[in-house]
Amino acid sequence: MNQGEPLVEVRDLSVAYRAGDSDIEVVREVSLRVAAGETLALVGESGSGKSTIATALLGHLRHGSRRTAGSVRVAGQDVFGLAPLALRALRRGTVAMVAQNAGAALTPSMRIGRQVDEALRTVTHTRDTRVRRRRIVELLDHVRLPEPRRLVDRYPHELSGGQQQRVAIAMAIAAQPRVLVLDEPTTGLDVITQRGILDLLAALADELDLATVLVSHDFGVVAAMADRVHVLRAGRTVETAPAARLFADPAQPYTRELLASVPRLSDEPRPSVPAAAPVVTCEHVRAGYGGRPVVDDVSLELRRGEVLALVGESGSGKSTLAAALAGLRTPSGGVLRYLGEPGGDLAVPAGKRPLDLRRRVALVFQNADTALNPRRSVRDAVRRPLTLFGIGPRAERAARTTQLLRDVALDPALQERLPAQLSGGQRQRVGIARALAGEPDVIIADEITTALDVSVQAQVLDLLDELRRERRLACLFISHDLAVVRGIADRILVLYQGKVVEQGSTRAVFAGPNHPYTRALISAALEPDPGAGAAAESAPRWEHDDRDDEWIDTGAGHLIRRWREERR
Amino acid sequence: MIVFVLKRLGSAVLTVALSSLLVFFAVQALPGDVAVQVLGRDATPEAVAALREQLHLNQPAWTRYLSWIGSALHGDLGTSLVSGNAVAANLGLHLRNTLLIAVVTVVVAITSSLVLGVVAGLHRDRWPDTVISWLSLVGMSVPEFVVATLLVLIFSVTVPILPAVVLDGPNASVAELLPAIWLPAAALGVVMAAYIVRMARTSVIDVMASEFVTTATLKGLTRWRVVTRHALPSALLPTLNVIALNVAWLVGGVVVVESVFNYPGLGKLMLESVYDRDLPMLQAIALVSAAIYVVCNLAADLAAMALDPKLRTGRRTATR
Amino acid sequence: MIRWLPRSIAARLGLAIVVLHIGLALAAPLLAPYSPVRNDAGHALLGPSWSYWAGTDQYGRDVLSRVLYGGRYALAVSFAATFCTVVIGTVIGALAAFRGGWPDNVAMRVLDAVLSVPPILALLVIVTVFGTGAGVIVLAVTVVYAPAVVRVVRAAAQGVVTADYVTAARARGERTCPILAREVLPNILDVVFVEFAMRASWVVLLISSLSFLGFGVNPPAPDWGLMVAENRTAITVVPWGSLAPILALATLVVGLNVAADGLSKAWGVDRIRTGAP
Repeated sequence: MNQGEPLVEVRDLSVAYRAGDSDIEVVREVSLRVAAGETLALVGESGSGKSTIATALLGHLRHGSRRTAGSVRVAGQDVFGLAPLALRALRRGTVAMVAQNAGAALTPSMRIGRQVDEALRTVTHTRDTRVRRRRIVELLDHVRLPEPRRLVDRYPHELSGGQQQRVAIAMAIAAQPRVLVLDEPTTGLDVITQRGILDLLAALADELDLATVLVSHDFGVVAAMADRVHVLRAGRTVETAPAARLFADPAQPYTRELLASVPRLSDEPRPSVPAAAPVVTCEHVRAGYGGRPVVDDVSLELRRGEVLALVGESGSGKSTLAAALAGLRTPSGGVLRYLGEPGGDLAVPAGKRPLDLRRRVALVFQNADTALNPRRSVRDAVRRPLTLFGIGPRAERAARTTQLLRDVALDPALQERLPAQLSGGQRQRVGIARALAGEPDVIIADEITTALDVSVQAQVLDLLDELRRERRLACLFISHDLAVVRGIADRILVLYQGKVVEQGSTRAVFAGPNHPYTRALISAALEPDPGAGAAAESAPRWEHDDRDDEWIDTGAGHLIRRWREERR
Repeated sequence: MIVFVLKRLGSAVLTVALSSLLVFFAVQALPGDVAVQVLGRDATPEAVAALREQLHLNQPAWTRYLSWIGSALHGDLGTSLVSGNAVAANLGLHLRNTLLIAVVTVVVAITSSLVLGVVAGLHRDRWPDTVISWLSLVGMSVPEFVVATLLVLIFSVTVPILPAVVLDGPNASVAELLPAIWLPAAALGVVMAAYIVRMARTSVIDVMASEFVTTATLKGLTRWRVVTRHALPSALLPTLNVIALNVAWLVGGVVVVESVFNYPGLGKLMLESVYDRDLPMLQAIALVSAAIYVVCNLAADLAAMALDPKLRTGRRTATR
Repeated sequence: MIRWLPRSIAARLGLAIVVLHIGLALAAPLLAPYSPVRNDAGHALLGPSWSYWAGTDQYGRDVLSRVLYGGRYALAVSFAATFCTVVIGTVIGALAAFRGGWPDNVAMRVLDAVLSVPPILALLVIVTVFGTGAGVIVLAVTVVYAPAVVRVVRAAAQGVVTADYVTAARARGERTCPILAREVLPNILDVVFVEFAMRASWVVLLISSLSFLGFGVNPPAPDWGLMVAENRTAITVVPWGSLAPILALATLVVGLNVAADGLSKAWGVDRIRTGAP
C-alpha cells in the first residue's frame, strides 16, 4: 500500500435500525477517508450518528441496526464482508477501539493484567508467563500508569476513571493496530486528567503512525487532537475540512452556529456587576464528618443580582455546599443565613424552614431527564410550587403558569406534554420555570449545562443571564467548566477538597496571579482553537500554608489562599 | 474481605436469633391452653395445673424463651407433646430423609437449569430460547402436587418402575429409601429449575448487552472466550440469590410432595405436627427451617464474594 | 397518563386468559349443567360423555360443574389476598425506601426473619388454629407474602427516591406523604402491577396446595386443589377427574405469569426480580 492511500475508507454508508414498523436512519450516505498518521475527528451533537460510524469501522453495529447501503474498508478489507475468523483477526491486529466509558468497558470480574494479556496474544506468542507479564507491565508503563507492577493484579473497580481509561488505551494499542478509534475518550474525566489522556493519545498516534478516528462533541478536544474534522448532523455529513480551516472559517452555517456557541476563555470577560447587598451568607461552614470533611471551613457571600460561580473538580465539595444551602443536607458546623426579608437560618433542613423562607432558595438540576417527574405534565410540574407556596390567588395560577413558560421562552402549548416528549433543552427550561415559580431570590444551578449539547447550552445560559437581570436574582452557579463560567459569572470561588483556594471577580481571577490549582485548571482547559494548544504547564506541587493570615490579597477582593511548594 | 465475611456471619446469626424470637412468640400467641390440649377437655383443673407446673408453663414468656434457646444450642429441642420423646432425634431422622431428596434435587436441578438458562439467553428470540422459555413458564405455573401426581401417573402406574408411595417409616435406612427419592426430587426439581432458568436467561441477556462484553468482542476474542471468561462470571451473580431462595423454598415445597408420596421426611413431620398440635415439634421445625434459609442466603453471599471482586477488595485504592 | 392497555401481545393474551377465568367463574351458576355438590351414586366414575362432558367423580358429581364452580373460591380468595398483600407491601416498601437510615435497616431485618419461615408452615399453623375461613386465609397469606412484596417495592422505590425530581420536592420542604403519593408512587406503579400479577400466580398456587392438603375449603365444596386430592386415587379409571382441575389451575396460573411477563416487558420494568415460589 503506498503512502497516502487511505487506511480507512467509508463510502456512502447508511445504517438504520428498526423501531416498531418503520426504519429509523442513523447514518445517511456518509463518506470519509483517513490515512496513516492522520487524525480525523467526527463531530456532532447527540443523534448525529458519529458513534455508529465509529463502531462500524470494526464491523460492529448495535443490536437491531443494520447496514442499508455503502461500504467500510479498513486496510483494504471490506469489513462487513469478512468471515468471522477474518473479522476477529481484523479486530485483534488491525483496528482497535477505546470506548467512551472505560469503567463500563473493562470486565469487572477479571484482573487488569489478564485483560491486557488477551489483547497482547496476537503479537506475543510465547507461553512463558514471565515474559508475558513483563510485556504487560511495559505496556502499562507506556500509557503512563503509576506503579504498573502492582496494577497488573488489580481489578477495574480499584482504579480511578483516568486510570481505567489508560488501561483501555493500553488494551487498544497492545497489538499495535494501524487504526485507532476513540469514542469520546475523555467524557466524564476531570479537566486535568483529560489533558493528560489527550497528550498520551497524541504521543501514541505519532509513535505508531496510527490512523486515528476521534469521536467527540467537545470542540476543545477536537481542536487539540484533530488534523481534519468531519461535521455530522442527524446522520448526514455537513462539512469536512482540515482543522485549522474549519475553526478559522467554517463553510456551513450549522458549523458556524456550533462553533459560535462554544464558550471560550478568549472571549471578552463580562463586565462585573456593582456590589450589591448580600442576600446569603456562609461563615465557616463545615459539612461531612470524619477525618476530612467534605466542606471544610468555607465562607462566602452571595449578593443580589450577581452570579457567583463555584468551581472545582469532583470531590471539591461544591455540590455538598449547594445541598446545604438548599436544605438537603445539614452542615455540621458554621453559619448559613438568609439575609433578605424575612431573615432566616438556612442551616436547617428544608422541611423545618418556615414556608416563606423555603421558596427563597430554588434549585435547578444538571440532568433534565431526572429533574422532572416523568409522569407529570409540564403544567403540573410548574404549578406545584405555586400551589405549595400559595403564590397568588387560585384563579390566577393557570395564567401565572403560562406566563412562567413564556418567560423561559417556551411555547405555552407545550404545557400538556410529558417530559419524555420534550428535548433536553426544553426540559431544562421547564426546570428553570419550576424554579422561578416560587419567586425565589436565590437560584442554585448545579452543573446545569454539563449534559447539554453545545448549541443548547448557549441558549440556556443566555436565558439564565436574562432572567437574573430582570428579576435581580442571586445565582450560585456550580460548574467544572471554566470556559462556561467565564462567560456567565461575576465572581468565582475555586474549591479544592473542601477548602476555598481562591476567590475574586472573574476578570481578576482570569488575569492572575493565581493559586497553583487555579492555574492548573485554567491551563488544562481546552480552547476550541487549534492554534492555542500548548502543552499544559506542569503545575508546581503545592500544599496549604497554615498561617494566621490565610489569604494573600491582590486587591479588589481577589483573595488567594496561602500556599507553598510541597516539601519532599 | 475478612470484614465482609464476618459482617455476613454476624448478620446471619442475628437473623436466626430474630426468627427464633418470632417463632417462639408466635407459637405462644396461639390460642388454646397447651396443658388442656394434651390432657383433653375433660381433664380436671388439678391435673391441668400439675401439668402446667411440670411443663414450666407458669414461668414468664421470656424465661421460657431463653431456656428453650439455651437448650436448643445444646441440641435439645424439647420434648414432643405427642410421643413424649425428644424432638431433636425425631427431627434429625426426618431431616436426614429430606436431605436425600434435597441433595439430588439441588445438584441436578441447579446444574441443568443454569445450562438451559445460559443457552436460552445466548440464543435470545431464536428457537432454543422460545422452547426453553415456554417450558420454564409451564414449569413454574404448575403446582408441585400436580407435577407429583402426573409423575406418579407416568412412572408408577403406566410404566411401573418407581414406587408411588413409600411404605417405610422414618427409620428406614438410606439404601431402602433410595428408590423412593427420584420422583419427589423430579417433582421439586421441575418447579425449582423453572425459576432458575428464567433468572439465568435474563441475567445472561443483560450481561451480553453490556459495554464490557462488547469491548471483549471487539478485541477479537472468540465467542466462546467472551462468554465463558467475560460474561458468565458477571451473569451468574444475580442468579445466586434466586438459587438461594429456591433452595430455601425446598423446605416448604417438600411438604406437599412428601404428602403425595408418603415419604417420611421433614414435610410429612410438619403436617403430622400440625394435625397433632405438637407445639414443641412445630417450634423446632420452624427454627430449623429458618436456620436453613439463613444458611442458604449466607452461602449465596459467600459465593457472590467469590465471583465479584468488588466485594473482596472494597474501596478504591488509587485517586488519580 | 399511564398506558392502561399495553401493546405487548403476551400481556394481552395473559390478561385475556385471566378475564376468561373470571368470567367463567362468575357465570358458573348459568353455565354449569349440574349442581356441583349433588351426589349421584348411580352415575359414579363415568368417563366423558354427552351428558357429562368431563365425566363424574367417585360420588357421581359432574366434574365440569365442579371445575366451573371451583374457580370461584380460588379466584376470590386469591385476588383478595393478593390485593391486601400488595397494598400493604407497597406502602411499607415505599416508606422504607424513602426514609432510609435506621428505620429501614430495622424493618429489613425483621422482614428477613419473617421471610425465613416457610410460608406453608406458617399458613398451616394459622389455619389449624384459626380455622379455614376465607378471611383467615386472606390475612394469613398477607402476613406471609407481604415481606416479599416489600422487598420488591423497596428496590424499585430506591431507584426513584434518588431522582432529582424527588430531591426538588424535598428542597421545597414537602412532607413524606405528599412526596410518596405524588412523586414516588406514580413512578413505581408499573412495578407494582407486575408484582401483583406475579404474586397472584403464587397465591393461587399456595391456596390450591393448601386445599390439596386438606386445609382449604371443606368438602363437599368444589375447589381445584381439593378435587385433585379427592380424585387422585381414581386417576387411572377416570383421569379427567384429576386432569380437568389441573388444566383449569394451570391455565389460570400460566395466564397470570404470561400477563406479568408481558407487562414487565412492555413497561420496561426491571426484570431482575427475585424468583421463588
